[in-house]
Amino acid sequence: MSTSDDFGEDFEGRNALVAEYVLGLLSTSEHERIGRLIENDQNLRAERDFWVSRFAALNQEYEETPVPGHIYAAIEARAFGDVVRSRPMASFWDSLLVWRGIAAGALAVAVAAVGFNLLQPAGDVSSLTTQLVAALEEEGSPVKFVALYDGSGNVRLTALSGETVPDKDFELWAIQGGNNPISMGVIPVNERSAVSIAPEVMEGWGEGSVLAITLEEKGGSPDGNPHGPIVAKGAVTKI
Amino acid sequence: MPMIDTPSQDIADLIARCALRDRAAFRVLYERTSAKLFGVTLRILKDRSEAEEALQEVFVKVWQRADRYVAGTTSPISWLVAVARNHSLDILRARRPPSDDIDVALEIPDAGPSPERATQDSQERRQIETCLGTLDPERADAVRGAYLDGYSYEELATRYTVPLNTMRTWLRRSLIKLKDCLSA
Repeated sequence: MSTSDDFGEDFEGRNALVAEYVLGLLSTSEHERIGRLIENDQNLRAERDFWVSRFAALNQEYEETPVPGHIYAAIEARAFGDVVRSRPMASFWDSLLVWRGIAAGALAVAVAAVGFNLLQPAGDVSSLTTQLVAALEEEGSPVKFVALYDGSGNVRLTALSGETVPDKDFELWAIQGGNNPISMGVIPVNERSAVSIAPEVMEGWGEGSVLAITLEEKGGSPDGNPHGPIVAKGAVTKI
Repeated sequence: MPMIDTPSQDIADLIARCALRDRAAFRVLYERTSAKLFGVTLRILKDRSEAEEALQEVFVKVWQRADRYVAGTTSPISWLVAVARNHSLDILRARRPPSDDIDVALEIPDAGPSPERATQDSQERRQIETCLGTLDPERADAVRGAYLDGYSYEELATRYTVPLNTMRTWLRRSLIKLKDCLSA
């Protein structure tokens, strides 16, 4: 099929080519050819810029759409390359299976002594029966927390590193056995905090429970399920 | 939404700081503009996971090419939308079967009066709406569909149930009319 008949002698039609180029209506080879011509000619560049700026007035019809939380980490990894990490941060659900496996297996959790010292609870520690601790971290993430359970029904949290993220909150999750994560609420980054353990978490609470922190929208996940990337996690172990 | 609260100058500054490899600025730029650009990739690609993947590539491009943004020539938002839109169109184009090429020489237009750049967005918006309003409604819709949704001639021909060549003729005549109106 030749298209030259309806185009050949049509002087104006040829001049519509730049507009067709801007609209993206040309085939790949034609698009590339016209693109090169435009790059090399000042008048054609002005013509292209004319269309780009005029059509840009329609841009407000593109509706803002919230982007899933894990996307940014992937972009950083790709844009900044080796400096951050080579793989995008796994989504919560991607890695859930992996660390359910971890939790079921050997609990090799390194707890920094310095982290523990920060967490000496007020009151008489020696009188407490069960003390549990977890170091929460994730490769490639700057966020690190130490969590201590002092037997009183509260988990005390101290951030060792990490910064607040604009318009986002960190949310703490408990994962026990094969159950879905249970939210333990939004936690602050810049201060120590205590989270009381809800009955449904307490039911399965103990050595082997996993604590995880995800980056969620402001105020925390709206539906009780984690959506953002895991920024730190760790299994709970006896001291 | 974040973008509406962000003056154009702030976005231009953030892009400039990205050109200087300021990662914190890149993060803020992302926070403020990603929802808009996701709207672009999603509308054109019409598939969530493809649109997410495209959005990642778009922001990587923005980071790599921030130095190519020339403040003052286009509004910074328009530039970002153009990067997202062009990238999405590249993806669509790569997927389409090769079609017959239009084998014509490109006329070099006379250097007319250069388009004024400082026009307010709202004025440009009114102007393009006014000029689209001078076209037959279906043809105006076809132009919008090509721009906003990235429809090809084939898709437009199907949507408006006209032969492909008729669609091409429609569109080209509409664009010429539009140019006259926009230049008036």
